[in-house]
Amino acid sequence: MVLLKIENLTAGVAQKEIIKNFSLTINAGEVHAIMGPNGAGKSTLSYVLAGKSDYEVTSGKAWLNGQDLLQMKPEERANAGLFLSMQYPVAIPGVSVSNFLKHAVNAKRKYAGLPELDAAEFLKLLRSAAKELGISAEMLKREINVGFSGGEKKRMEILQMSLLKPQLAILDEADSGLDIDALRVVAEGVNKLRTADNALLIITHHNDLLDLIKPDFVHIYADGHIVRSGDANLALELEQSGYKSFLEEV
Amino acid sequence: MVEDNHNITLWGEDIPWLFGLREKGRQTTKAIGLPNAKTEAWKYSHFAPTILDTYHIDTTPHHCDENCHCHDEKASTPFAAYYIKFCNGKLANEHFDLPAGVTIKSLVEAIFDGDAKAYLGKSFDLEKFPFAALNTAYLEQGVMLTVERGTVLDRPILLHYHQHYGTPQINHLRNIFVLENRSKATIIEYFTAESNAEYFNNLVNEIYVREAAQLQHYVWQNEAVAARHVALTSVEVRKDGTYNCFCAQSECVLARHESYIRLQQEGAAAEVNGVYRLMHSGVSDITTNIAHLAPHTVSNQLVKGVVGGAAKGVFQGQIHIAPDAQQTEGYQLHRALILSDDAEVDAKPELEIFADDVKCSHGNTCGDLDAEQLFYMQSRGIDLETAKQLLIEAHINEAFEKINDNNVKTWLKKNF
Ligand SMILES: Nc1ncnc2c1ncn2[C@@H]1O[C@H](COP(=O)(O)OP(=O)(O)OP(=O)(O)O)[C@@H](O)[C@H]1O
Ligand SMILES: [Mg+2]
Repeated sequence: MVLLKIENLTAGVAQKEIIKNFSLTINAGEVHAIMGPNGAGKSTLSYVLAGKSDYEVTSGKAWLNGQDLLQMKPEERANAGLFLSMQYPVAIPGVSVSNFLKHAVNAKRKYAGLPELDAAEFLKLLRSAAKELGISAEMLKREINVGFSGGEKKRMEILQMSLLKPQLAILDEADSGLDIDALRVVAEGVNKLRTADNALLIITHHNDLLDLIKPDFVHIYADGHIVRSGDANLALELEQSGYKSFLEEV
Repeated sequence: MVEDNHNITLWGEDIPWLFGLREKGRQTTKAIGLPNAKTEAWKYSHFAPTILDTYHIDTTPHHCDENCHCHDEKASTPFAAYYIKFCNGKLANEHFDLPAGVTIKSLVEAIFDGDAKAYLGKSFDLEKFPFAALNTAYLEQGVMLTVERGTVLDRPILLHYHQHYGTPQINHLRNIFVLENRSKATIIEYFTAESNAEYFNNLVNEIYVREAAQLQHYVWQNEAVAARHVALTSVEVRKDGTYNCFCAQSECVLARHESYIRLQQEGAAAEVNGVYRLMHSGVSDITTNIAHLAPHTVSNQLVKGVVGGAAKGVFQGQIHIAPDAQQTEGYQLHRALILSDDAEVDAKPELEIFADDVKCSHGNTCGDLDAEQLFYMQSRGIDLETAKQLLIEAHINEAFEKINDNNVKTWLKKNF
């Protein structure tokens, strides 16, 4: 079953074309990895898919579960099953992790026609999910991402993912800044989400995470689109040769 | 305005000093008039003086029916308090179930008994405060509250002012709060009204915080939308005394909270914090003037505002540090969210520092909601409207956190 289909997408920001004629299809049950040089437009792609308003799509289409993704508001995309773990998670002073997540979880439940969780039910859920990821209860009371270390922010993204249980998760450098233990925790979180109904798109620069996750497909992304696709071995090949040889191919 | 009201009779015109004080109020009002665009302290919130003609002064006794809140002990707050109730600008109860060490008298009684004379009109110059001068010309309604040496109140004292619908009325209210040495009290002033009421509350509080006394003063101007509210709170703080004020302003035509605070002796400290949120067309004004007149005095201010629609927020903060007030600290921060193109915020910090060994800072920021934060929340499924509300709440909550009394904090956060 096709979960995400992107067809000839061209998009940019601030009058600058960054994604050029990009196409990709992700089926349920698959894990895709995207690797590419700095500034190639990987984060831009993730923002466009999540619906950030300053990014402009000039042509192309995208569907999530057959729904026209580009017509949907960011919150609709999220509630329809898309999740973006951001490269740079945003700090929101004055909003606690638990309050933030309670709104997010209940928004999704409401969208799905489920009753909203009350404070007690939610906190129980939150605490057990946090515990699995090695996040302390103290952390949940803090203002979200305010003063969090790089690794703490990434753990927090994974916590959100594990609570929201997206059908399609895009992880934009979820592994950057993580210590070895945290990397394992993130990989476990990801693997837990890996079912026949779900799919993942992992943007990364490193093989460490891919070793733990073992993607079904690896894509090399440059100059706004995929220049080469392969299986997990492509990532190893890339590690040996660098981007240079792949870029010269085009 | 003043001249038009010769026909009204006030209590105690035969008491020479009282007559003299009112006369001074009348003469000052005549001489300085009402604030206009050139009046610095009213630059952003003055209004046409003719507007005052639309209000009348009611000196007849007020009789409200039994359904009025002032007959209902628990109508005001979800926590226990000593209640002082005003209805249409008139003191509605004169019996207060008070613990030892605290006295509350109607202002008239306090004048009659001779208690008020030493305090009334003693804490500020009428010439500087046009509405306080007008208030002085008509002073009669209000209370005098005295907390004796070393007395620590177990519950807050709540002054609940309520206004009914009726002919537009101006209420000149005057209170005196005296906290003797080492006493401790919490005073809440809560203003409510029938939603369609039109009126003008012109309030003056004179507050005397004596040595090592502590006053927590909470004000919620939850007036009707068509109301005007102008208040001057004049405070003297002596050695090691503390005056902490928090003011919450809700939607109305004009809500002005002006604090005039003298830190007179070493160790005196004051805080003025507050929030305002106006989403339609009103004006909210928090004006402070804090004078550090002695060494080792400290002041802190944090005001968070939100304006939308065509509303206007005003913050004017003056910190004055006298030449010999060394090792003082004065901090001031105002942050406002401006949610629409027609909304406006005017902020004017003024620091006058004449001592050299001081720590002083002021800050002011105004802006829209943060697009990155909104997107982050939306990307987690939270709809845009809820995301905005969360950010607005977060913005305001920072100021609410300054409230020391947990009951008051919970009550205000929930109902504001
Ligand atoms: N708001 C913006 N205004 C101007 N340029 C932008 C904006 N956002 C992104 N860009 C530019 O678009 C290009 C792609 O950026 P993007 O963040 O998508 O790269 P990336 O592939 O994620 O890189 P990295 O591996 O370093 O994370 C960069 O050149 C970047 O400077
Ligand atoms: Mg990136």
